[in-house]
Amino acid sequence: MIKGGQNYVSSPPAFSNDGNRVLVCTGNTVSIFSSSTGLQVSSLEGHTAPVTSVVVVPATDILCYCWTSSFDGTVRYWDFSVPETVKKLDLGMPIFSMVIPSFLGSPEENNAKTANVFAYVSVHDGKAWQIRKCSLTNYRKVGKLVLKETERPEPLIISPSGKFLGIKHKRKLHIWKLPRVESDVAVAKKITLHHTKTITVLAFHPTERTVAAGDVTGRMLIWRGFGTQKFLDHSGSNNRISMNDGEDKHGVRQNDDAESCSVWHWHSAGVCLLSFSPDGAYLYSGGTEGVLVLWQLDSGKKKFLPRIGSPLLYFIESPDPSLSLISCADNQIHMLKTPSMEIIKSISGIKPPLSYQEICESFSGKAAFDCTSGLVAVQTENYGIQFYSLLANRGVYEVQVCERNHQPADEVTVAVTLVELSVDGSIMGTVEIKLPEEGVGGLVSLKFWDLDSDTKRFSVSTVIYEPHRDAHISAIAFHPTHRMAVSSSYGGDFKIWVCKEGDIQQKGQALQNSGWMCHAVGSYKNKAMRAATFSADGSVLAVAADTVITLWDPDKNVLMAVVGETPTPIVSLAFAGKSEYLLSVSHGLKPRLSVWSMSKLAMAWSYRLQIEAVSPAIDSSYFAILALLPESNERAFKGNGIILLFNATDPVPVASMSVTKAKGGGLAFLKGDLSERAVIDGKTSQTLLVYINGDREYVIFDPYDKEGHELSIIRQDVPLEETGQFGYSSIYGELPKFDLQKDKTASVISTASERPWETIFTGSTHMLPPLTKLCSVFLESLLEKRTALAE
Amino acid sequence: MAEPLHSSQPKTFPVKPKLKPKPRTQNQTPESKYWSSFKNTQIQNLISVPSLTFSPSSPHPFAAAHSATVSIYKPQNDPLDSPTTTITSFKDVVSSLSFRSDGRLLAAGDLSGLVQVFDVGGGSAAARSALRRLRSHVRPVRFVHYPKLQRLRVISAGDDALVKVWDVAAGDSPVMELRGHRDYVRCGDSSPVNADTFITGSYDHTVKLWDVRVGDSKPAIEVNHGNPVEDVVFLPAGGMVATAGGNSVKFWDLISGGKLVCSMEGHNKTVTSLCVGRIGSGSDEELNQFRVLSVGLDGYMKVFDYSSMKVTHSMRFPAPLLSVAYSPDCKTRVIGTSNGIIYVGKRKIKEEEIEGRVSEKSLFWRIRPLEHTEKKVFRPSHFRYFQRGQGEKPSEGDYLIMRPKKEKLREHDKLLKNFRHGEALVSVLEGKNPGNVLAVMEELVSRKKLMVCVSNLDAEKLKLLLVFLRKYCTVPRYSGLLMGLARKVLEMRVDEIRGSEALRAHIRNLKRSIEEEIKIQQSLQEIQGIISPLLKIAGRR
Repeated sequence: MIKGGQNYVSSPPAFSNDGNRVLVCTGNTVSIFSSSTGLQVSSLEGHTAPVTSVVVVPATDILCYCWTSSFDGTVRYWDFSVPETVKKLDLGMPIFSMVIPSFLGSPEENNAKTANVFAYVSVHDGKAWQIRKCSLTNYRKVGKLVLKETERPEPLIISPSGKFLGIKHKRKLHIWKLPRVESDVAVAKKITLHHTKTITVLAFHPTERTVAAGDVTGRMLIWRGFGTQKFLDHSGSNNRISMNDGEDKHGVRQNDDAESCSVWHWHSAGVCLLSFSPDGAYLYSGGTEGVLVLWQLDSGKKKFLPRIGSPLLYFIESPDPSLSLISCADNQIHMLKTPSMEIIKSISGIKPPLSYQEICESFSGKAAFDCTSGLVAVQTENYGIQFYSLLANRGVYEVQVCERNHQPADEVTVAVTLVELSVDGSIMGTVEIKLPEEGVGGLVSLKFWDLDSDTKRFSVSTVIYEPHRDAHISAIAFHPTHRMAVSSSYGGDFKIWVCKEGDIQQKGQALQNSGWMCHAVGSYKNKAMRAATFSADGSVLAVAADTVITLWDPDKNVLMAVVGETPTPIVSLAFAGKSEYLLSVSHGLKPRLSVWSMSKLAMAWSYRLQIEAVSPAIDSSYFAILALLPESNERAFKGNGIILLFNATDPVPVASMSVTKAKGGGLAFLKGDLSERAVIDGKTSQTLLVYINGDREYVIFDPYDKEGHELSIIRQDVPLEETGQFGYSSIYGELPKFDLQKDKTASVISTASERPWETIFTGSTHMLPPLTKLCSVFLESLLEKRTALAE
Repeated sequence: MAEPLHSSQPKTFPVKPKLKPKPRTQNQTPESKYWSSFKNTQIQNLISVPSLTFSPSSPHPFAAAHSATVSIYKPQNDPLDSPTTTITSFKDVVSSLSFRSDGRLLAAGDLSGLVQVFDVGGGSAAARSALRRLRSHVRPVRFVHYPKLQRLRVISAGDDALVKVWDVAAGDSPVMELRGHRDYVRCGDSSPVNADTFITGSYDHTVKLWDVRVGDSKPAIEVNHGNPVEDVVFLPAGGMVATAGGNSVKFWDLISGGKLVCSMEGHNKTVTSLCVGRIGSGSDEELNQFRVLSVGLDGYMKVFDYSSMKVTHSMRFPAPLLSVAYSPDCKTRVIGTSNGIIYVGKRKIKEEEIEGRVSEKSLFWRIRPLEHTEKKVFRPSHFRYFQRGQGEKPSEGDYLIMRPKKEKLREHDKLLKNFRHGEALVSVLEGKNPGNVLAVMEELVSRKKLMVCVSNLDAEKLKLLLVFLRKYCTVPRYSGLLMGLARKVLEMRVDEIRGSEALRAHIRNLKRSIEEEIKIQQSLQEIQGIISPLLKIAGRR
């Protein structure tokens, strides 16, 4: 079983001490990526629920230890270079966030207290989320002391100096000054800062007592000198208080303990990301609109990295000052070259499902599978298609379908509604729509893409505007062997498209003039057509016209037969492999999966199931369905969906698997030659089924294998050794190797030849070798070498 | 391998008009581009033009026969309306013209049977009266020709089916009379490689090759075109002839004894005239690109590439065409019509082509004056001292750091980028390209700003929009958006439109054009109604 498609941005990632590795929380595991190549190196497996935070133990470059916390209530201590669990503490309560203050701050202080490491955790005790303290070195129990209770889990933010701990809570900031010497009973002092809007994020200044917070309207507040009264030593505080009484605390709400508060406003939508640069001179901020803003703290001057294309979530500085990392909501982690603000590399996860599913009736968020090369094509928020390698578990590339910049905060007016790949994966069809404004200017366009055989990327071949006039397209299907496609529309007709290849020889250069043309148009009683499919040999085209199935000869465009009737409109059709059975799926009040026999032109059997996806096996008569379970049955099974494997001739399922998050999921069989690369316990598996769930996490398994063997992939050797350069060499390049033992003549003589005296004067004069050097060579050449003969 | 980098880099997408379907075959081949690069001017108010001919000598004036007049035009003159020389000493309609190979004499035959030779080298006055009057034909003369390699003789033929060869210097009686045709002789041409052979074509469907050295009224070669022959022309190599008759142009190989090489059947009516055209002017390779230009009564001029046997260009004129001629310097192409208009197509020769020639000629004289070869060394007191080396070109091994290329954005793209939607719409409306207007409108729709823009337009700009709507809202490619928009505009701006007379006029025009379109649609539907039963019947079979 191969799992993949995890969410990389559920919680903040972390850098290893040398800056070469990035630790990313990916579901139940922590994946370790190389920061120079962006490829996965290894993973920490052991937690049984999603990992929520990872804290790297600061030490020298060689030591690779980290603490992780998880919803399964455990905290683990790892050596991630190996990788293995060193220690496991069971807190017994789901942990949402964990910070370890003693790792931060000045090193000598650290050394003094290494004996005792305390962590602050946000845990759920069954009623509410509580912030508590626990000792990691000699753990017995979670500390009784509750700093704060919240209804919703709030991430804990620790100041880079390790002295302050803060959380946001609705319209307030709570800040604790942590005790200098930690113990189970030491109490932290707390202040609260107020704001009029819901606060979304906060960040501490690395050196000063300054805290920044962002709110939902896009404002940023910076409190300077917070906690002057409460946190400072009592001796000095008396004076301070009197001073503060005299001057008005600029911008600070009534009784808040801060010297001043300034408001900056640039973001148009909520701020999601705030981070001070390590020297404290700059502040990074980012928000829903996907622009990273770099503020100079003293002057308020701004620098931008625009059009990242997705809401920004986390910003992490690496130990290497020129590298940092942004996590984006579209499951991408970008490596950022800091001073020049350019993206140099991305860790590309599968893009999350679109948020605007309900934009129109023709919208289908279904992923398209390229069974031969093991790719899945999914629609992305920025009007593109991402190709994600299922076996390598990483994004391969993206194509832009609509030529528009995506603004995450804007209203959706353009969408890619449909994507379909041909069986051999060489042709892609996409449908995009533009929504009209007050009934003016809507547009549907169909695009056909060709795979470039050299680069393995798709490029646009043909654009068809309004292929079915203003009616939306419900489905695209490709002919299994020919370059032929069919598009069906809600407007009651379908069109068959063929690709004409024609090379026009013009003045020596071959001018490729291939394009898709409409070959035929068909309709059946003006009924809305919601699905279309070709049979395995391509001789029959089945198009669902409302509740009946019409069978056509695709070449001659002749209606051959009309089959049956279902109670509700058919939304999906598929031929069961090479067999004579046709599957139809209808939704609505009376959902139904029907299997039709083509030889009898009648229904063979049917189930009353809410079907989410159907996938026929390519070579056999087996097919798999993904059915949604009714609410009442959910308890009987583990998840809300079930995958059933049928033989088309037999209504009794061959195998069944229960799955979670089945809504919006998809299924596909991968082809045999591909699955040879995946090995189950040493033996190859011929058929693999992919299940991708509503969150676009996927799993690949052998559906026929009852025992559920672990499927492991022979991963291609990833170049683990990073070739990146840091420090001096990253700026000036590698210094030439200075070798004292080097033969000096080699560096002096410009041309190395058998007879150096002939070419010596071609060089410049200062390069002339000393005469003594020349002499010996010259004489040597006069003397005949007989060594070869002697042997 | 994984390079998701490109996806995350900031990109700007300028608004683009919708793509147009590409024609399956390229309609603008380089060759048709060449032939349509002749810019047409007209010479009007003549009576039908049966013959046109170019002088072989530079600057290649051309003579046109119309009614009982011959006019000589210089194509360099602009405008062309007035001829440089007019010869009117004819008693009947002039039928055929021919320049001598040096361009100084012009022979003309008319329907009275008289062949006259004029001196056209000496200007307008000298040409008034004929140098020679050659009278022997008893019926109208239809064909007069000065051989290309012969200065002394003139060939003439006419409705008496006789072909006569004259010695112009000697006098009034023909040197030779060739009897062989059995019907009107209408055309002929002389060989470009041999001074003694020529061909004639006749209404008896035959084309005969004559050799004046034989002189026994027996043609050397005879070919049958199959239709009355209207024109014949030798191809430049001299081995082939093209004949025009009926709706076809046929190519014959004379060297192999008169074999039909190919036939071009592109015209729908009788082909009246042929001439040899040449592509380009200059390099030797291009010199070989000869084409045959044919014109017909169907109003088409066709360019036939006889090496690949393809019609490479076709052009339509609004009148039956009678004659065509192509200047030897490839600059001018003239076509005469039956309703008295001469279409003169002039091609601008590029500067460099002309310059190239000049420099070749005067190369000898172009020795440069001696220049100071030492470089001037600037002192720090001179301002150019501080600019020295700025124009230095990079040498081979240098590593170039290029400034990132600035994207060129058009006016409306810049405005859209700055969210100045209304201004973007106005700026693109002021432009010429309707495709761009549509692209901007679509962009505004996807930003949900089009209605706001329309409602904020002031009266002047609203006029612009209405003019645009009137012009393009019935164009099928744009009507989807524009019809809806027009309705919205009317709804939103009804008060202003009522208030202004000018705007109301525009609305009236808009209404008219839409009514027209509806009428067209209705008639199309009628036609569809007629056709669809027929198609159904056809489909049943």
